[in-house]
Amino acid sequence: MPENERIPAPLIVEALKAAFRGQRSAPAKDGEPLGWVLSVPDTHQRSIIAELEGDDELRLLTCSTEDEANAIAAGLYIGGAEVAIMIQHAGLYASVNTLRGVGLDGGVPLFALVGLLSREPELEPKDSPRSMVRFAGPLMDTFEVPHALLETRDDLGLIPEYYALSRERSGPAVVFVGRETA
Amino acid sequence: MRPEDVLRAINEARGDALVVPTMTAVPAWRTIAPEAPSVACVGFMGGASSLGLGLALAQPERRVVVLDGDGSLLMQLGSLATVAGAAPANYTHVPFANGVYQTSGSQGIPASGSVDFAGMAEAAGYAFTTRIETLEELRIRLPELLSVQGPVLVELAVEEAELTPMTAPGGDPLRVQVNRLRERLASGE
Repeated sequence: MPENERIPAPLIVEALKAAFRGQRSAPAKDGEPLGWVLSVPDTHQRSIIAELEGDDELRLLTCSTEDEANAIAAGLYIGGAEVAIMIQHAGLYASVNTLRGVGLDGGVPLFALVGLLSREPELEPKDSPRSMVRFAGPLMDTFEVPHALLETRDDLGLIPEYYALSRERSGPAVVFVGRETA
Repeated sequence: MRPEDVLRAINEARGDALVVPTMTAVPAWRTIAPEAPSVACVGFMGGASSLGLGLALAQPERRVVVLDGDGSLLMQLGSLATVAGAAPANYTHVPFANGVYQTSGSQGIPASGSVDFAGMAEAAGYAFTTRIETLEELRIRLPELLSVQGPVLVELAVEEAELTPMTAPGGDPLRVQVNRLRERLASGE
């Protein structure tokens, strides 16, 4: 894939900040982060993770598992913080019970960027021969979780849109990252 | 120690701490501390330590006490490293070590009798860890354990509880608990 078709990580970080600012009732106080990003590292999003490590406004926390990320996000939400999750599709499969318990039964607005590692750019995810890619969307459909596909700069608005949607629905919303970010 | 006596002692010492009970601690805590600012980890066993971590990070001025189970903690043992990495100074993690999965019929946990939660937390990087076997010692040390710089892990050697979520179902649904605690915190309570 040509380098210029990949979304630069700083643009995604700015989109996350816009999403957080859109939900905050007041600006962050001194020493308080604008929001949190909970990550179980994902190959597609590794440039975003690197960008976040040097960011002054967002706080990056690496988790051992995606189950943890969902539960930590719930605690942050209850405590009044803004929070997003960054994981890989394999982690989405691994953490469906926590997604169900926290996001559906608990009504916690979990927003997640989920990398579709090995997604073939010439195919729709639903047509991928790779089960990891093919079933991710249908899995979210089963859980009645709205989802969208982020591939180009034109899609960046999906991040604040789906973040807001998770708050409006009091439940999960997912943006799949279909291509590795730059 | 009887878990119900432990919970009464924690309730008396907790001050304005936020509390995250799970599994067999849930029905007793509901009765002993109905007004405490709490949210129970129910329906995603193993998540209490992480739920409490999120609360501790969002509310750094409040103590957060996680009333965990030994079987529960084993389900998300990596959370010890995540907590240690985040290093919340206001976090007190209290696994109730009865050696069994009591809720499902008291089957033994893996390595029951030899697994060392305080030791594992220390190795993960918790700031302070200890194991307590008597109620008298717990009562004496609780003020320190709820104020010393965390993350703290206090492994408690306990008997089985009188009630479990299976024998004493009820309480508010998780969604109600989430919204209630979020609103209490937003109001400055």
